[in-house]
Amino acid sequence: MLRSSHTAVVERNIWWEGEWSTEPYEAAWATRAVAFVRVLERRNIAVDATLRVQISPDGIHWCDEGNVLNVSADKDISFARVSQFGGWLRLTGVLGPEQGLKVVVYLALQG
Amino acid sequence: MINPALSKFDPLSRIIYYDDFDTGLNGWTALIGNYEESLDSILPGFRDLRPPMLSSSAFWDTGSAGSCDGTYAMKLATRPQAGSLSVGIKRMTYRHKGPLRLEAYFTFKPEAEKLRLSDTDAGSIGFLFDLQDDTHRVMPHLRYLNAHDGQRVQRWQFKQERVAIRDIGATGETVSHFHLSDEGWEDVPDGNQRLCYNEIATKQNWHYLRIGFDLDTMAFTEFQCNDRAFDVSGIAPMVMPAMPNLWCMLNAAFWSQAGSDRRTLLHVDSVVLSGEF
Repeated sequence: MLRSSHTAVVERNIWWEGEWSTEPYEAAWATRAVAFVRVLERRNIAVDATLRVQISPDGIHWCDEGNVLNVSADKDISFARVSQFGGWLRLTGVLGPEQGLKVVVYLALQG
Repeated sequence: MINPALSKFDPLSRIIYYDDFDTGLNGWTALIGNYEESLDSILPGFRDLRPPMLSSSAFWDTGSAGSCDGTYAMKLATRPQAGSLSVGIKRMTYRHKGPLRLEAYFTFKPEAEKLRLSDTDAGSIGFLFDLQDDTHRVMPHLRYLNAHDGQRVQRWQFKQERVAIRDIGATGETVSHFHLSDEGWEDVPDGNQRLCYNEIATKQNWHYLRIGFDLDTMAFTEFQCNDRAFDVSGIAPMVMPAMPNLWCMLNAAFWSQAGSDRRTLLHVDSVVLSGEF
């Protein structure tokens, strides 16, 4: 049996400003995921920004999973690997008042 | 020999696809508006259509419900913003201009983050075909408007009114029109229907949907939801001149639309498209 896989574009061409979370993605079928962030534009970004991986039992209540995705200050693509995440995934992070990152966020899922 | 999975459907003589979402999304993918050079060229309504996902309907209070048939269904979840849309589309072409029948089981709910009935927070759910023959692009649209501005509506609607076709980019090769806008919907004659919402936001019941459309006459032939078969003589699709590059197109799409600042969740499982050829 071939492994199942699916790439979900959970955010596209959207500005991450201030406190921000990606939309919840339900993927209980998957056993592991690679979260990718592609940066399209930057505003006042001098150092890497951090998105925390969060998991949830129901898509409503969230906690930190422990992994972080460091969004590079100068590279186009950054990623983080996650496994054993249960049923739901999202990324969350905070930027400073004048900062912004225009991003595409992917979840490359395998199960 | 009865096939238990297919027995709850009444397909025409040839099954074009039968998708039960237990092994994947089967070609149902996110919809994006047309663009040229930059994603900023996408018409505003098309920029943030939320993608489909595979859901086992995991609720905070009772755990996973599973799907209508098996474990997974296709879920279309909006953002928690009134008007937000989620669309799943499957793109085919047709080999015979004849009758089509789309059948599906579906259920929809607002996200269950509040401990109250919430039935007027789910906005609408809908289905469309996007078709083209030698002369016309034809887009039959149907939706169930559950609630509007917090008021219960519970009525089927169709849409034949077209919006202006807009040029995208500078080459003259790309156009777009936002056919999913909230304007231009008309009531299906005698189209009121009370669907089983159940008593709290985490109890979901599956509904049967059947839509018939003839590729030869480009007209609705039937429309049924659960025990109600509606008169289709008074409903019509959107029609426009044929566009380049869309010949023999046979696309089908489901969508959900938030009616309040809460997510509306549409689950579909399974889908059968059949034809007479």
